[in-house]
Amino acid sequence: MVRIECYSAPTSLREALQLLAKYGDRARVLAGGTDLVLRLEGVDRDLEGALVNIKQVPGLVGVRAVDDVYRIGALTTVTELREDPVVAEHMPVLADICDHFASGQIRNAATIGGNLVNASPAADLAVPLLLLDARVRLASLEGDQPRERELSLGDFFRGPGVTALEAGELLTAVVVPRPPPGFRARMRKAGTRPAMDISIVSVGVGFCVDGGLIRDARVALGATAPTPLRCPAAEKTLEGRPPDAATARAAAQSAVEAARPIDDVRASAWYRRHLVRVHLEREVLHVGRG
Amino acid sequence: MSVEVEIRFSLNGDELRATVPAHRSLLAMLREDFALTSPRLGCGEGECGACTVMIGGQARAACLVLAVEVDGAEVETAECLRRSDGSLAAVPAALVRAGAVQCGFCMPGIAVTATALLRQKRGPLERREIERALEGNLCRCTGYTKAIDAIEAASREEERS
Amino acid sequence: MSRVRSSLIGSSVPKLDAAKRVIGDARYMDDLTLPRMLHGKILRADRPSARILGIDTSRAEVMEGVRAVITAADIPNHSFGHGRDNTPLKGEVVRCIRDEIAAVAADTPEQAEAACRRIEVKYGDLPPILTTDAARASGARAIHGDHPENVALTYHYDHGEVEQGRRASAHVVESTFHLRYVTHCCLGVSGVVASFDGEGKLTIWSQTQVPFLYRRDLAAIVGLDPRDIRVIQPFIGGAFGSKLDIYPFEPICVHLAQVTRRPVKILFSREEEFVASPTRQPAEIRCSMGCDADGNLTFREADLVLDNGGYTSWGATTPFVMMQTFSSLYRVPHVRFDAEVVYTNNPYAGSFRGYGNLQASFTVESLIDELADRVGMDPLELRLQNAQEQGEVTGQGMVISSCGFRECLEGSTTAARWKEKREEYRQQTGRVRRGIGMASMLHVGGGAKIYRSDGCGSILKLDDFGAVTLITGASEIGQGSETALAMITAEELGVKLEVVRVVNDDSEIRPWDVGVHASRTTFIAGNSARLAARAAREKLLKAAARLVERPEQELTIEDGEVLEQATGKHVMSVPKVIRSLHFQDKSELVVTNAYYEPPSVAQDEKFKGNVSATYAWATQVAEVEVDMDTGIIRVLKISAAHDVGRVINRLGCEGQVEGGIAMGMGYTLSEELLVQEGRVRNPCFRDYKIMTAPDMPEIELILVESLDEEGPFGAKGLGEAPAICTAPAIVNAVKSATGRRFTGLPITPERGAREFMKDAQ
Repeated sequence: MVRIECYSAPTSLREALQLLAKYGDRARVLAGGTDLVLRLEGVDRDLEGALVNIKQVPGLVGVRAVDDVYRIGALTTVTELREDPVVAEHMPVLADICDHFASGQIRNAATIGGNLVNASPAADLAVPLLLLDARVRLASLEGDQPRERELSLGDFFRGPGVTALEAGELLTAVVVPRPPPGFRARMRKAGTRPAMDISIVSVGVGFCVDGGLIRDARVALGATAPTPLRCPAAEKTLEGRPPDAATARAAAQSAVEAARPIDDVRASAWYRRHLVRVHLEREVLHVGRG
Repeated sequence: MSVEVEIRFSLNGDELRATVPAHRSLLAMLREDFALTSPRLGCGEGECGACTVMIGGQARAACLVLAVEVDGAEVETAECLRRSDGSLAAVPAALVRAGAVQCGFCMPGIAVTATALLRQKRGPLERREIERALEGNLCRCTGYTKAIDAIEAASREEERS
Repeated sequence: MSRVRSSLIGSSVPKLDAAKRVIGDARYMDDLTLPRMLHGKILRADRPSARILGIDTSRAEVMEGVRAVITAADIPNHSFGHGRDNTPLKGEVVRCIRDEIAAVAADTPEQAEAACRRIEVKYGDLPPILTTDAARASGARAIHGDHPENVALTYHYDHGEVEQGRRASAHVVESTFHLRYVTHCCLGVSGVVASFDGEGKLTIWSQTQVPFLYRRDLAAIVGLDPRDIRVIQPFIGGAFGSKLDIYPFEPICVHLAQVTRRPVKILFSREEEFVASPTRQPAEIRCSMGCDADGNLTFREADLVLDNGGYTSWGATTPFVMMQTFSSLYRVPHVRFDAEVVYTNNPYAGSFRGYGNLQASFTVESLIDELADRVGMDPLELRLQNAQEQGEVTGQGMVISSCGFRECLEGSTTAARWKEKREEYRQQTGRVRRGIGMASMLHVGGGAKIYRSDGCGSILKLDDFGAVTLITGASEIGQGSETALAMITAEELGVKLEVVRVVNDDSEIRPWDVGVHASRTTFIAGNSARLAARAAREKLLKAAARLVERPEQELTIEDGEVLEQATGKHVMSVPKVIRSLHFQDKSELVVTNAYYEPPSVAQDEKFKGNVSATYAWATQVAEVEVDMDTGIIRVLKISAAHDVGRVINRLGCEGQVEGGIAMGMGYTLSEELLVQEGRVRNPCFRDYKIMTAPDMPEIELILVESLDEEGPFGAKGLGEAPAICTAPAIVNAVKSATGRRFTGLPITPERGAREFMKDAQ
């Protein structure tokens, strides 16, 4: 049965953090609402606690270049990311997945912070952000002053629906370091529809080509393990080799070996592995072609 | 039960106040407290688009929005697509003319999604753009073709006017 | 001097109530509310097979807002359904996951749901029987005691001598086809409102497609006199056959209203809609077919096993329609057909657009392509060579009174550039390949005499101002019947379409109709409306002639005016004629009625006879692109040719075909209700995938007008046809692209990839 004992819409970060500190693990943060409202109004209504609507908190929306990083506010919606000129120019792989995210109605609501905090193994935004070496900023109160810590996405995700976020903490921003010059990345969300699909698997790859050889290789996989993750084995396979068919095949083989997908109603583990192979092979060649 | 929250918002141009339980969805509030019938409960999970409304001009699935979230916002439903003289606005009129309506359960949602699209993008639209915009609106009767025809036609009309 | 008058028939008319529906003014079940109305919820079994050892409702009864809790022990619980094997609530045995154990009426839906969760049921599990093989194995437990073999129904049909046909064959193909669960996915979920007046008379707001049979059946289930039941249909958010049967939630709602003496509404959640709605029959079909060296079909043999699930609905009679395709799609001299409908502990099937014909056409049209391959003929040529012509009578006794089969075959393939594309797509080897394939279908187009009468009644009422009200027995489920019927009425009567209103939602005032099914409404209700309109026109002309003292033959009625036939000169307005009849010494109203019964016959015990007044034909050609690695199949174009007899409303025809193709594509490529261990594993749109807007291909439509002599203005039925042959057309196209024949549906990307991998190895 639903029981929201308290509702608040704080108008400053400090106020929001005070509320989170006060309610601890009973606090329910409302951002885009696309996952939370399901649990309030959906078939399995089971949510209790204190609802903290952070939408009025200033400074949590938008993409800015700060020094050598891009800072993306946690409340930036997928639609805003999809249309943002900075994202389009400097993080095209992120813009691309935003175009393949759920539906217009959901893109208008869902936020980058919510997508990550929800920590679905198939979270659409996770794979491009892993490729971009993104880090998350987590704010909390120290005394009565906000302080922030930063974690890599890899450290942030702990399991399906589980993150390193502690009681009293709020994800405020995603920080993306400027990719190395010449870095190109692509990703593929497997499915039959342009967007309105839960990812069966998603596969991302990015690298620079230097003197005909791959450098700074990054490979990320979604829905192949309890969390979205980077695939160091495949990265190692790519590093220092030419972006040709043999390399693509070898990297795909490494990724398949590293993947630990499950069988569920959407696909078998076999098919998920198969798609990792097919898409990684294709995407390595694509990125290599430039 | 949940705590009750007082909100103010505009609904199809009327400034309103309401007191709602914190967990109540916008869809439930619109249908039950304000007796609107155009936002329809098709799935309650944001998958079908039958409950699509505009918040601040953006298409949203009302089943995935909490009523408290629209405090201070402007909400529009398909009811506002009938003009005061009884005639239909461009998008619903085009949907009717093109034969896009069969059982019609999904249609207010499609009309709202398309209206939001046409407000954001001026000028004639490509079919692919329209198909993509309708991705979150399921229809079981029509196969979408006539709805796409209609929205394409409406996008051209708009340019002329 | 002759005058040409523009005809409404064949024009494009937007659905008359479209504005209401698009703007949200139309009132569907969800929108209905009555003073003092309670909300009902049903507790369903959480397992597919068990004995019910005890039900304790005491904790639920004391909950806030709860007004009644009922179990099987509290109501008469009369058996019902096509096999009389179902009851509203289950008191002893659970036979499928959707079984209704108890029901609650409370002030709010949330309270009712919370109370359902407090009901404690003690079960003694029984090992579930989950396959038709397990059900038919010797020693299998009987799911219903009176069917010890677990066979609910059997069908046998034959004509000719199959062995003779086999001997005459130069080529024989044989395969077994597997069709799985799909469901209707009406956007409006199931629901009902029941309300008794002080005198015990029931008004029920129902989404039924068959209000008159519904009223009779409901009366028997709940123990009321049918005269005391009024059935009102609100706007219905899609039906597609799903509302042909009565389901337990409806009598349950009536009993809750009876017990509480208050109106009660039951509305499903989407999850409940997926779990507790009917499905299309899963079928295993073994079929063989032969032809001689020149490609003339010699015989066809089919053995079918259908999974009935736990109970028998009307859907269990789908072999009746399937056999028409096996016996009569193309000229086949020798045919045998046997079907068994088998009880299991799976969800039970119901009727669904096409009524068995999707499964049958998938089988026959897949094998036709295989035969063409064996003979070395173009599949189009083989089909043309075996296609029937007007005037033929099929082995099953179906009289082909009008026939656009050849035009469908030729029209669709011309639109698709068949020969050119076939040549272009020959011998592809890449990872992305294209292909083209075709399939045809035959379906009833003039009703189907499966009940004692296949008729429909109409009452036509003209008022003093010239407003015309057609009160029809035919129901509207979104298909646009009211627009087609208004067009037929206006055309026959000679009035403008705008003055015609259609009343089609209240059993208290409507004359009888057997229901919306078998693609019959335009044909049967259309003829009925036309007869009533003709009677009114004659009456008006007679009265006008008397008034102006001229012979009737010299007058005509057009656009609501009585005119001089020869010159078109205005004589007087129709309202004036009506008033002159009404306000005179011997006052008379212009109210006419008609009942149309088609000239078809009920089939004999050997399933022979002309069951429909006419038959509809269609051919669809699919062009596909296949990704051999991911297994994803994209449909690029469907060229569809449909013999509609005569187009009544062009927009309506187009809408039916486009929507049917979308449904057929889902059946082929993505839709599957995953039933495992008797449970539904994907009860949501996220995992049960119907087509979305970007999935739709280009559709080119050819409407073939074969002008049926019996049809209204020549029209025949169309509603089901467009969904029927999409699957085999796509599957034949995939075969042409990849060399791989799929005998099961849907071809999900995973199934595709597994099959195409075989190629790579």
